[in-house]
Amino acid sequence: MKRNLIYTVVAILVSAVLLLSACVPSGGGENKVVTFIFTQEPETLNLHYTNMYFSAILQQLWNHWAWEYDENNNPYPVLITEMPSMENGGISADGTVLTLNLRDDIFWSDGEPITSDDFVFTWEMAIAPTNTVASAYPYSEAASVEALDAQTVVVTFAEPFAPWLYFFHGLLPKHVLQPVFDAEGTLDNAEWNNAPTVGSGPFNFAEWESGSFLRFVRNENYWGEPALVDEIFVRIVPDDAAQIAALTSGDGDIGIFIAYPDIPTLEDGGLSVIKVFSGYNEGWYLNLGANAHPAMLDVLVRQALAYGTDRFVITRDLLLDKTVPAATFWDGSPWADPDLAPYPFDQAMANDLLDQSGWIDSNGDGTRDKDGVELILRYVTNNRDVRLDTQAVIQQQLAQVGVGIELINYDSDILFGSYGDGGPVAIGDYDIAEWSDLPGGFPDPDTAYWLCSEIPSDESPQGSNWQYICDQELNDLFALQKTQMVFEERVATFHEISRIMYEQVYWLGIWQDPDIWAVSSRVSGVQLSGVTPFSNIAEWDIP
Amino acid sequence: MVKQRTPDLRPVSAPDEIETPVLSLSKLAWRRFRRHKMAVGGMVTLVFLVLYCIGGAFIFTEEYANYNDLSIKLQPPSSEHPFGTDTIGRDILARTVYGGQISLLIGLTAMIVEIMVGVVIGALTGYFGGWLDSLLMRLTEAVLIVPQIFLLLVMAKFFGGAVPNINILGREFSGSVIVIILIIGLTAWPYTARIVRAQFLSIKENEFILAARATGTGTWGIIFRHILPNSIAPIVVAATLGIANAITLEAYISFLGLGVRPPTATWGNMLEGAYNYIDQGIYWLWLFPGLLILLIVLSINFVGDGLRDALDPRSRAV
Amino acid sequence: MTRYILRRFLQAIPLLFLISLLLFVMMQNMGDPLATMGGRTMTRSEDRARLTRQLGLDKPVIVQYLYWLIGNDWTKIDLDGDGVAETPGIRKGVLRGDFGYSLVNREPAMEVIMERLPNTLLLMLTAEVVILFGSLLIGIYAALRQYSLMDNVVTALSFIGYSMPIFFVALGLMYIFAVNFKAWGLPYLPTVGMFDPQAGKSVWQVAWHMVLPVITIAITSFAANSRYVRSTMLEALGQDYIRTAKSKGLPRRSIVFIHALKNASLPIITVVGLDLPFLLGGAVVTERIFAWPGMGRLFIDHVSRADTPVVMGIMMLIAFAVITFQIITDVLYAWLDPRIRYQ
Repeated sequence: MKRNLIYTVVAILVSAVLLLSACVPSGGGENKVVTFIFTQEPETLNLHYTNMYFSAILQQLWNHWAWEYDENNNPYPVLITEMPSMENGGISADGTVLTLNLRDDIFWSDGEPITSDDFVFTWEMAIAPTNTVASAYPYSEAASVEALDAQTVVVTFAEPFAPWLYFFHGLLPKHVLQPVFDAEGTLDNAEWNNAPTVGSGPFNFAEWESGSFLRFVRNENYWGEPALVDEIFVRIVPDDAAQIAALTSGDGDIGIFIAYPDIPTLEDGGLSVIKVFSGYNEGWYLNLGANAHPAMLDVLVRQALAYGTDRFVITRDLLLDKTVPAATFWDGSPWADPDLAPYPFDQAMANDLLDQSGWIDSNGDGTRDKDGVELILRYVTNNRDVRLDTQAVIQQQLAQVGVGIELINYDSDILFGSYGDGGPVAIGDYDIAEWSDLPGGFPDPDTAYWLCSEIPSDESPQGSNWQYICDQELNDLFALQKTQMVFEERVATFHEISRIMYEQVYWLGIWQDPDIWAVSSRVSGVQLSGVTPFSNIAEWDIP
Repeated sequence: MVKQRTPDLRPVSAPDEIETPVLSLSKLAWRRFRRHKMAVGGMVTLVFLVLYCIGGAFIFTEEYANYNDLSIKLQPPSSEHPFGTDTIGRDILARTVYGGQISLLIGLTAMIVEIMVGVVIGALTGYFGGWLDSLLMRLTEAVLIVPQIFLLLVMAKFFGGAVPNINILGREFSGSVIVIILIIGLTAWPYTARIVRAQFLSIKENEFILAARATGTGTWGIIFRHILPNSIAPIVVAATLGIANAITLEAYISFLGLGVRPPTATWGNMLEGAYNYIDQGIYWLWLFPGLLILLIVLSINFVGDGLRDALDPRSRAV
Repeated sequence: MTRYILRRFLQAIPLLFLISLLLFVMMQNMGDPLATMGGRTMTRSEDRARLTRQLGLDKPVIVQYLYWLIGNDWTKIDLDGDGVAETPGIRKGVLRGDFGYSLVNREPAMEVIMERLPNTLLLMLTAEVVILFGSLLIGIYAALRQYSLMDNVVTALSFIGYSMPIFFVALGLMYIFAVNFKAWGLPYLPTVGMFDPQAGKSVWQVAWHMVLPVITIAITSFAANSRYVRSTMLEALGQDYIRTAKSKGLPRRSIVFIHALKNASLPIITVVGLDLPFLLGGAVVTERIFAWPGMGRLFIDHVSRADTPVVMGIMMLIAFAVITFQIITDVLYAWLDPRIRYQ
């Protein structure tokens, strides 16, 4: 019968697919396996090709950085013998030469020694025009990177470069990738990017099934102390609720980006919830450009916005008291001025300031106005649930002091579109924009967001000063700090910068945005850093 | 998965054939419609739901629907908040009232866009034929070949944020409402176009059309006065089902985070994010808006099915 | 027959061009793939300028479409930003089977898609089989007991199923069978994923994780299909040859299942055949909720990153499959029904 034939074909197809997808061997019982739950899938394992957090944090598993960071975000040497400083001569007196001394006992997982050639190669690849790397910074800032001998790397800058710590994240093995580059002219499509056969960390990459999982197994040929657990299993669960379910049921040992409302559930489930500061602060970017509401140019109005929003009720009730309002862009790092406290919630003060500035409700419609213009501000952010909720709460608070708020939301790839692409924030089509950000080279405090030269225009459509703020004093301080190689001097400059930004309300902190991790009590020895969370992964154990 | 077909309920209401008494068309249709118990039930439910959305506005103000109070967030249904409160302490009952208005508005207007585009293209291709027919039918096929949900997602991104907020009757709407209406209308028309084209193809060969043409009636006169009124039945059915489809689609895209933006509530976007709370047992976030969507889509589908039976000229049931 | 098939495919070519052009142009405005590049913060301005140039995103839409379609290995592109095109292009273009590289991870777009295709096929083919058998069962039962109470109940239920938004079914099922069953200490179904990492990926695990998504898809599709089976069966049962068979005293079972179903199966096959390619897209919503690593989820993820090559690849794959299955269905129809002949 022809009908039967069709059913047979369908049945064969189904069973074939079933069989095909079941070809992966199942994990053994005796192994010590730590399971990570990631809500997003890493894009690639080659750090040069992505800005993605989940790709970055996996690095310490399989590929060491030249230096890594402890729980307090302080760097410590890994592939080098000691952190370069002015005292030990690692940084030259004029701040333009950086000398790194490599350890002589380090080697890749295939046994090849790690030498200064790998460092030079990494720099070459990051700036090669045929490689579409995600970020050429900071490599593009170096005039040259040279190998003095097998263990000495010399980085030369045209002028003192304070944010040098951002160098040499994601070292590339020259002996593996040089042939690929020579053959294809680019590393873009190198197999190593997604299936790195060779690394330098305590674990080796084992397999990656798209959309499902990544597996790392202990590197038996590791130059350091071997890892205590046998395997790291990274499970992709693209959904917050499912992540919580997996963690509480014991299907996962470690999760990150826990939403605040889920913290009690996890703590009840016996997991410890750890806050790790990784440089992020949720805040308002205030637009002072030509497309902004005229009231935004008045510092009194901006201060009134700060006094008129109760960020304390948001951190207390919406974020369950797990964080506090941020005062400066650098909160949680030594660069923030400890004397600055978040603006208090004071509606009387907000009303006073608005009255002083001349914005009064002259037509009795409940919203302040001046010269026939209503004080209605456009408050833009993306579609994250917690931001949508924050928007609604703040809209109501500001209505009480007579400030109208129009809420606008975009997807991240539209919200962060560049000036050239007509991104709504980049072209200044907003008054208040909210997102969480950090200094680009964290833990280095440098940022380009408030530089006059970064104001986007038709000539420089990629500019990142989307606030259109050009404060000459601020601009000079930003230029100054970048060349200050002495820590204390640079800190003083940053305190000055943060004071100006606070008083002028160029940026208004909404809340400090630490990473929230959940860690199962099954795993011992976990010390999470904000920059390189898994720096001590080799010491983790399941007792 | 977006449904491709509507189930055909016809045989259920096809009792034994009875001789038809002489009745006007509309009376006949109404009598046939009444015999379709589920269609009548759907009609009653539909009226009830519309009353809920419109009448509710007299009980709750929009300020109340948008009023948030973090100290009472995520409260289960109680006498004070019969449907509970959401993540920032807004009353879900009041929000379903205002959300329902937007959902209905989207359903109706998206249907109008869909029918207008569908009828124009169907009529043009069916009546004129030739290269116009081939060109427009290729376009129709092109739209049909890509699953609608995919087209919707791409188009939602394409228009996303391009439309500013609008003010209708003193109420502020997110511009995304317009976007959703447009993209649903602009992806759903091929079905209507095909139905209309088939109608035109068969009717234009009828003798009364030839007669009209012979008496010198112009092309547009024939289209609008003679053919269109005679194909109204399937168009009405398609329109009814189009409303249900549009409401469902709005819910889908809002659920996937590309739909109507807050603060404008719709039944669809009230569900977005609700599933994050599913394993904390907070069912009221998704149960009530979800039930309302189910009820309205169900009742419209029943009504549409009843209309199909009632308006089908071949159906001899009374 | 061969000429007929060939002609149909030739006719489909302009259609595919039209679709690809429309979609490609639409996708250029979908967002900036370089906005955050998956990071938590926006891309640095110098990197953005460099990548825009390197990835050819600064070219006019029509040039980008051309590169996508026929590749750029016949021309030179400017990679170092000095305004002089010096590096020969390496892309071959869709017409030569190169769908370009994902803007998200630089992997070949087709490879990215093919990694997910088996998962979607597994889920959707299983669902389709369940739907087919389920709706045959329901449809035949309802047809044999026309106008009975059960028939009406089944009709009402199938209408409810049809009207139910898929996420509502999914959330409800998940809430009852995964969350509450677990709370009540009953054997419960897993919420998300394809398998439990501790247990490893076994046939049993995958099947167990497939239960809820398959039921979700099936519930919403039973309605339309079972009504269709019912009406075609009713039609077949009213035919003369069934009356002849009855009068010859053949057992009822063989009348229904051999004679009637055989004839009714023809239109059913058509419906299923036309449905199959749409399954490729997977159930976007279902895959999202149950975290099934299939094409639907891939599509949403890459749409949100404005990754044109992958999104275009998925759409064109489906468009091609739809056209192919339309032709296959027509041919199958002719093969099964000797009365139909194609010229």
